[in-house]
Amino acid sequence: MLANYEVSQAEKKFIGWHLLFAVIAVAIGSLFGPLQALEHAGLDLYPYLQPLFASYYQGLTLHGVLNALVFTTFFITGFLTLTTIYGLKRPLRYPKLNAVGFWMMVVGLVVTAIPTLLDQASVLYTFYPPMKAHWSFYLGLTLVVVGSWIEGWGFYFTYYAWRKENPGVRTPLTTFGGLITMVMWQFATLGVATEILTMLLPWSLGLIEGTDPQLARTYFWFTGHPLVYFWLLPAYVSWYGMLPKQAGGKLFSDSLARFAFWLFLLLSVPLGFHHQYVDPGVPAGWKFLHAVLTYSVFLPSMLTAFTVIASLEYAGRKRGGKGLLGWIRALPWADPVVSAQLLAGILFFFGGIGGITNASYNVNLVVHNTAWVPGHFHLTVASAVTLSFMGISYWLVPYLTGKKLGVSNKVANIQVWTWFVGMVIFSNAMHVVGLLGAPRRTPLGLAPYIPEEWSGHLLRVGIGGTIMFVGMYMYVYIVAKTAWAKNYEPVEIEVPLADSIHDPQETPDWLDKWVPWLIGTVALLLIAYGPQLFDQISNIALNAPGGKVW
Amino acid sequence: MTDKQSMHIDPYEKNWIRLSIGLLVVFATAVTVAGFAFGFQVPTPEDRVDPRTVATEGPWADPGLRELVPGKKYEAYILAQTWAFLPNEITVPVGAEVTFYVTSKDVQHGFKLQDTNINMQIVPGQVSKLTVTFDEPGVHNFICTEYCGAAHAIMFGTLTVE
Amino acid sequence: MKEQKNSETDEFEPKGTMVILLIFVLTLILLWGSVYLILLSRGVTV
Ligand code: HEM
Ligand SMILES: [Cu+2]
Repeated sequence: MLANYEVSQAEKKFIGWHLLFAVIAVAIGSLFGPLQALEHAGLDLYPYLQPLFASYYQGLTLHGVLNALVFTTFFITGFLTLTTIYGLKRPLRYPKLNAVGFWMMVVGLVVTAIPTLLDQASVLYTFYPPMKAHWSFYLGLTLVVVGSWIEGWGFYFTYYAWRKENPGVRTPLTTFGGLITMVMWQFATLGVATEILTMLLPWSLGLIEGTDPQLARTYFWFTGHPLVYFWLLPAYVSWYGMLPKQAGGKLFSDSLARFAFWLFLLLSVPLGFHHQYVDPGVPAGWKFLHAVLTYSVFLPSMLTAFTVIASLEYAGRKRGGKGLLGWIRALPWADPVVSAQLLAGILFFFGGIGGITNASYNVNLVVHNTAWVPGHFHLTVASAVTLSFMGISYWLVPYLTGKKLGVSNKVANIQVWTWFVGMVIFSNAMHVVGLLGAPRRTPLGLAPYIPEEWSGHLLRVGIGGTIMFVGMYMYVYIVAKTAWAKNYEPVEIEVPLADSIHDPQETPDWLDKWVPWLIGTVALLLIAYGPQLFDQISNIALNAPGGKVW
Repeated sequence: MTDKQSMHIDPYEKNWIRLSIGLLVVFATAVTVAGFAFGFQVPTPEDRVDPRTVATEGPWADPGLRELVPGKKYEAYILAQTWAFLPNEITVPVGAEVTFYVTSKDVQHGFKLQDTNINMQIVPGQVSKLTVTFDEPGVHNFICTEYCGAAHAIMFGTLTVE
Repeated sequence: MKEQKNSETDEFEPKGTMVILLIFVLTLILLWGSVYLILLSRGVTV
């Protein structure tokens, strides 16, 4: 630990590059959100986009890829670079390695973007074969993933160097959470890496005739479910490690926070079949096992709910809040950094309820592939995660640039509440119309089977989606105005690291030891996935030629 | 120092963990009973086919309804393709128990029979199978719920119970 | 100093937290239960 280490300008710039790409991605990706929502409400604007954008599906591909894959990955790797070096109070061990990782992600983004913008890869962000995109689409995505791996390796080397310099010291919580996120991501992405490298790339290059769509789905969802924890854990890093301080209090329990992160490492990956409950090629017994495992990963989120809310209660009481619930009003709601994360948490309550519903084995038959599902994950990735990232941006961008936030707290707060209100309307309507049977990934305005009783809800989808769009572009404006301000008030922002009520050195040693947890993770993976992977791979049939059907 | 290194869990949090586990056990029991005792089940591997020949050989060469026990038991072989189900109209009598066997000859599709629990991913090379019993007359659409290309939105069929 | 810190924290009882979480659990039971009932109302699949 370098006693008076300060994050350098070069490091801040490097993190800033991550944010720049993240915000550009979400700005472009979100353009299609209201188009989709309004299309559902009966206002089809796609004819006016010709010939720039060919179809609803090309737009939806861009929406999913740019928002859910690109925005998240760039924001996360940038944010976790900061939690690594700031928490450990030392620079990256190999800054060049991280730079290589980052620029590989950028190249990957460009390589993915070209075929997508040319309508040669309108396969949606799940790219289920045998719908066949141009090979460069798969190659670009691979580069993004490998780039994010390399950035993760850069963090491990940094941690390893710090550990040698500081034996016996507890890893700072935010650093620890970030490391777990990146280690989990390594395991998780093995699925999609195998899918692309052994099947999709050779097939799209014409080296093999066909592909096995069922095996591809199994590989994909090996990655696809932990992907949502890759998005969520950095938000948890902020909720556990920063929000208590931002709210004026302390973290309620350092040891339970760490325990929750370990459980996420252990349990995030071996449950992907819960996305495949209605797949024909996976035995029901294995689906049931993954259902049980999915229920168990609900526990660390329940722990998180308790610890985070208790930390907030502690803060609110310290700020003079009285009574059973009076502390809620005493929280610093006027601070957009805080209000964004509080509202993200509220929306996540409902995201969690939807999630446990989806995960409930046969209950999934009611909601699978209906509008309920995008209704659900706009509460998770587009709220718990995105709204938290918006709040984080409101201190992170000033921290990185040294410039005061370009708008008043009041305006930033309006942004935050706009997203919240739009999301409440949008997601509620999507859930309801999904229960009534409306399919997802479908321009419903063109569908001939829409009953009259859906129309009121579809109208609310359009209204809520439009409000969300306003909220998103206010965010983009605020970030851009701050970052590019010529006349600004210089500020010195401290990274908000929360103390915990009990000193972290009192946290038991076994909550800071990697090896047993890593062994457990691999063992559980082998049990939950090994036999099915062996079975599906040994019965592989590369007999679906597929093609371009859009 | 070491004596302090035990995991400190607040009594309230202990109760919360107990409550969470209890709740999950209740949900899991409800799901398990519905699934394994009553028959609210998800698809399980039925058969594999070659998507290149499935439209010309075997049962999906002649897709449609098969009557096993008149008025009681039926099988429906349905072929999904871009962008239609074959057949796209089916009629069964009230009281019929119909087992669906659905596969695709090209890309992935979805098969959701409205107002029933039939909801399946249709994957080339695999056969998706679920069963439903119709106790009341009415019309149910079966719609494609997975993106399958340009005209995905118009892909549906109707099943009439009379 | 350390002792004092601990006694301060031991007095803090997260009762409000429990209230919020109980409201959450009731909402969860209600909403999850309603979808479960939809499942039951739509008939068996084997
Ligand atoms: C600007 C406000 C937004 C609106 C109005 C909006 C609206 C929508 C709608 C209506 C759909 C469903 C389309 C369909 O199923 O046919 C959708 C899908 C989706 N959205 Fe958003 N969205 C917004 C922002 C976001 C953000 C910020 C994220 C993630 C960070 C996100 C991630 C997704 C994903 C992953 C899908 C699924 C794509 C697919 O099915 O392939 N959206 N969005
Ligand atoms: Cu289809």
